[in-house]
Amino acid sequence: MAARLRGRPAHAPGPTYLSYTPNGKKLITVGVNGALRVFQHGSDNEPAIIDVLTDGHTAVASTNDFIVVGAEDGSVTKYSLLTNSMEEILVRCSLPVRDVSLSKDGEWVAVASDELEVKVVNTRDMTRIMHLRDQSRPVKHVSFDVSGSTLAVSCTDGIVYMYSLSSEQPQLIKRVDGLIKTLETDVEASAKVAWHPDGRAFAAPTATRARSDWQRQKAFSGGHRADISAAAWSPNGALLATAGVDKSLCIWETRSQRLLKSYDDVQNAILAIDWHPTDNVCSYTNNNGELFIREDFVPGEHAKHLRIALQPAPMNNDPLSEISGNARKQVGNGDKPNGVRRSAEDQYLDDLLGPDAMSEDEMDFIEDDDGAGYAEETNHVGKRTAVANGGRPAKRHAPFATWNPQVHEAFQPGSTPWRGDRRYLCLNMTGFVWTVNQDTHHTVTVEFHDRQEHRDFHFTDPYKYDKASLNEKGTLFSCRPSSQTQQRAVLYYRPHETWTTRTDWRTQLPAGEEVTSMSLSESCIVATTSKGYVRIYSLFGLPLKVYRQKSMPAVTCASWRDYVITVGNGSVGGDGTTRMLYTIDNIRRDELCQSEDVVALGEDTELRSVFFSDKGDPCIYDTEGVLLILLHWRTPGQAKWVPLLDTKTMDRLASGRKDETYWPVAVANNKFHCIILKGSDVYPHFPRPLLVDFDFKIPVSSFPAGAADDEDRDAAQQKNLEEQYVRASLQHSLASDLVDNTNATSAQKAEVPVMEREVDKALLQLLAAECREGEERGMKALEIAALMRDRTGKMLEAAGKIAARFQRDILGEKITQLAERRLVGLVDEEDM
Amino acid sequence: MALPLPPGLTPSEVGFLCEMEHVTVIPRQTLDGLELLGGPTGALKPPLPTPLPLWLALLLKKQRRANITPPPWLSVEALTQILDFETDERTAELFSPLPDLPPATTTAPLEGDPYLAHDSLELSAPFLKDAATARAQADALPYHWLEIGHLLITHAADDFDDLDAVRKLLRDLREVRMSKLRKGFEVLDAGGGVKMNGVGGMEIAEVRGFVGGVVDGLRRLNRSREESRKERETEERENGLGSSSYRDDEDEDML
Repeated sequence: MAARLRGRPAHAPGPTYLSYTPNGKKLITVGVNGALRVFQHGSDNEPAIIDVLTDGHTAVASTNDFIVVGAEDGSVTKYSLLTNSMEEILVRCSLPVRDVSLSKDGEWVAVASDELEVKVVNTRDMTRIMHLRDQSRPVKHVSFDVSGSTLAVSCTDGIVYMYSLSSEQPQLIKRVDGLIKTLETDVEASAKVAWHPDGRAFAAPTATRARSDWQRQKAFSGGHRADISAAAWSPNGALLATAGVDKSLCIWETRSQRLLKSYDDVQNAILAIDWHPTDNVCSYTNNNGELFIREDFVPGEHAKHLRIALQPAPMNNDPLSEISGNARKQVGNGDKPNGVRRSAEDQYLDDLLGPDAMSEDEMDFIEDDDGAGYAEETNHVGKRTAVANGGRPAKRHAPFATWNPQVHEAFQPGSTPWRGDRRYLCLNMTGFVWTVNQDTHHTVTVEFHDRQEHRDFHFTDPYKYDKASLNEKGTLFSCRPSSQTQQRAVLYYRPHETWTTRTDWRTQLPAGEEVTSMSLSESCIVATTSKGYVRIYSLFGLPLKVYRQKSMPAVTCASWRDYVITVGNGSVGGDGTTRMLYTIDNIRRDELCQSEDVVALGEDTELRSVFFSDKGDPCIYDTEGVLLILLHWRTPGQAKWVPLLDTKTMDRLASGRKDETYWPVAVANNKFHCIILKGSDVYPHFPRPLLVDFDFKIPVSSFPAGAADDEDRDAAQQKNLEEQYVRASLQHSLASDLVDNTNATSAQKAEVPVMEREVDKALLQLLAAECREGEERGMKALEIAALMRDRTGKMLEAAGKIAARFQRDILGEKITQLAERRLVGLVDEEDM
Repeated sequence: MALPLPPGLTPSEVGFLCEMEHVTVIPRQTLDGLELLGGPTGALKPPLPTPLPLWLALLLKKQRRANITPPPWLSVEALTQILDFETDERTAELFSPLPDLPPATTTAPLEGDPYLAHDSLELSAPFLKDAATARAQADALPYHWLEIGHLLITHAADDFDDLDAVRKLLRDLREVRMSKLRKGFEVLDAGGGVKMNGVGGMEIAEVRGFVGGVVDGLRRLNRSREESRKERETEERENGLGSSSYRDDEDEDML
């Protein structure tokens, strides 16, 4: 992150606390002054301010719709986030409130104050209060677990009290002694219990404990030199962020309890940390009234931890932890505290019925089958309902959440997201289109690499175009439909040059349809829409075709001349994500080249871009940095993805000093053109970075680059030759495919024999290397000779000469035999 | 009488010769390949980077038809790294090495194999390809570093990210290396020698006049001693004794 970390003065200097709403859209901070601030996530605008009567706020908890704020005057007040105004005072204590905690469904709020008892108040009906009275000293912190059925109460006597709230009469189920320190209620150090998102364990300042048997499990140690002042699990439980009163801030990996990163730029003691529910953003507030929103909180190399699915808590003897290393989506099933294991049918039922139906948390496995209501109070309808709308906190438990396949998002190749007020709509070898957000409108600029051929242009854009496609002939734009202005989605094409007056045109899509991706080729315009249609127009706006894509929703599309490749979400694979399928269509001839074939992507890799090479072969680039090209794609069923370059194995990265990734732009002139992204950037930004090109290098084998001694260098050279052979054969088959299937130009036709000679040249060099090695490598040398493509016999003649030069007479004889047999047509390719 | 030029290349001649080095250019308009005396140039097709001779690149740059990509060693990081090497105490005696030589093209196992010996000419410093293109090695100064750096900074200033830092680093490097050269010549006398591995063309041209004068003067002063030594040598040889380790002549000749 380039920008220096700067605190946002949120409140008057003093203890400040924060909370993210569960949907991650808002961030609420409270402090000593009489105002609450509501920040919008991802926006640098001034926060909304709720002026309140109380001051000296000590705690905040939020749901999507409202927040609950505790203050030193003992009041706990509920504010609406929809209207940004106060709704009601939920409860009033006689002594300062120290902590509030909301159950996950927002139904109940637990209030810790300097009074001896903890109050649990219903947020809709403040008359319904539960009192927890088992502790002997004032309570410092309260914390609901994920299911909302257990409340952890950290008391100043150094004991954590666990209450079960599943019945109307709360029950103390466990006193955990000797875990937390004895702390006064008003010190900065914290004893708050942080539940792991999978609900089986919690972290408390000193150690982690499993909830099943309340045994101490794993300790995160060695990061802080003083008391912990705040801790928070990442939304998926894979990481833990902790802050100490010694002004330290650490990130831990849950699985190994390893310290991932320690930040040393903290100025004041952090009092509250909260992760953003989805993004790599973590915010914290300190005791000086400041809020820090830390983007890219988890450093790039560890950011993958945030994206993986829910992680199990670290347990001793945990069967799950054996397999938790892989990032597959797991259906966590915690061990039962008393050995009652759920049968497979139960699991199945849970999946069918959804999270709340019968998936009780492990604490209250008692089934209320006779309806006597000893386990819980029936609600006003007199029935257990799947949706907990009263009676008790919902037993929403993340590991049993309904299973949702992950669908690949649609994207426009060559575009970047907003950064600041500008973004690239399109960036390719012709030029680039960028837009600037001016609030009421955008301004679009189109610049060309070739300034002689085309003139740059610039216009004010009231439609707020969000996609663009640029080529030598014109520029295509599209905008979203807008509900406010009743504006429909529009496609706008502007040709660069015409011989009549300018013939730019606009066409509206039917109401409710939105362009998800589009592409412009030399002969047509393709748009995939949110309704699953592929719409094809001519360059003059004539609709040519509309058809529904077989695999939906659409991910992206690209086109080259008459060929259109559309990529969509197909069936769901084993890892819970959909398989991406592509279809290649020739519009003019109305032929399917490939139908619903698989976009070959590895596990956990995403498609970064789809484009055609300058010779018209489809290419993809994935998040692992591999560039693949489609071979034999003109024959149905024959297509296969061949890697052209694995950017991670490039020599320039071999030193390990460079931390860079590449943003694909094009494949042209047998080179991969890209933009170098430094560090954890994912997209290029302004000012426009230079294009860089890399030669192809098929990942045939890996060898240390710049090897020191001769032997290594020889081996490296050998591998280089092998790679050269594979690459030349690939290019040969690409070229011959092109010539066989299209009306190729003479230049293209001339290229095939050239490529053939390249293949044979690589083979000759390999043969020479084998001959040099010794007589015993003769068999391999003969095999290499047999691979020669050349039919005239010249290459085999050359091979024979090489063998003679190295005095490999037997080999020479065999090669001559082979050449003779070939010449009379005895050896067919099939026989070899 | 011939032109009163000192022997060897003058700095202006070296500066002229460096314009034959190739640099990478990002063209702003199309141009077909040119058949030039120095060899054909590639066709320019924006935005594909193309290597061009420096003089042509500068011409196109002046006409705003192209941008020049500075070679990797002309970046702030690379220059800082090289300057660190030059100023480090452990390597204070050395100049930072020239770029690695390309692997030998003649890999013939049997001497003089005409098949594998495409060209038996092994290229080295001033004739290396890609010394100043975008493919150049980042952590070594090529032979013409000073001239190319100077020309690019002067004529393609807007293609640098951090021009002032690059200019400052280049000047620092030049001063550090020049002072090293001078320090080396302090010890020059009839028996002294300076290891000049890694010294660039312009640096040699600059110190040539001075060093040549000094060495010539020293030689003239020491002539009588040298003559007597030679006499002694011939005597010893005649007496059948192997010549002792006198390498002074060779060292001096190298300058």
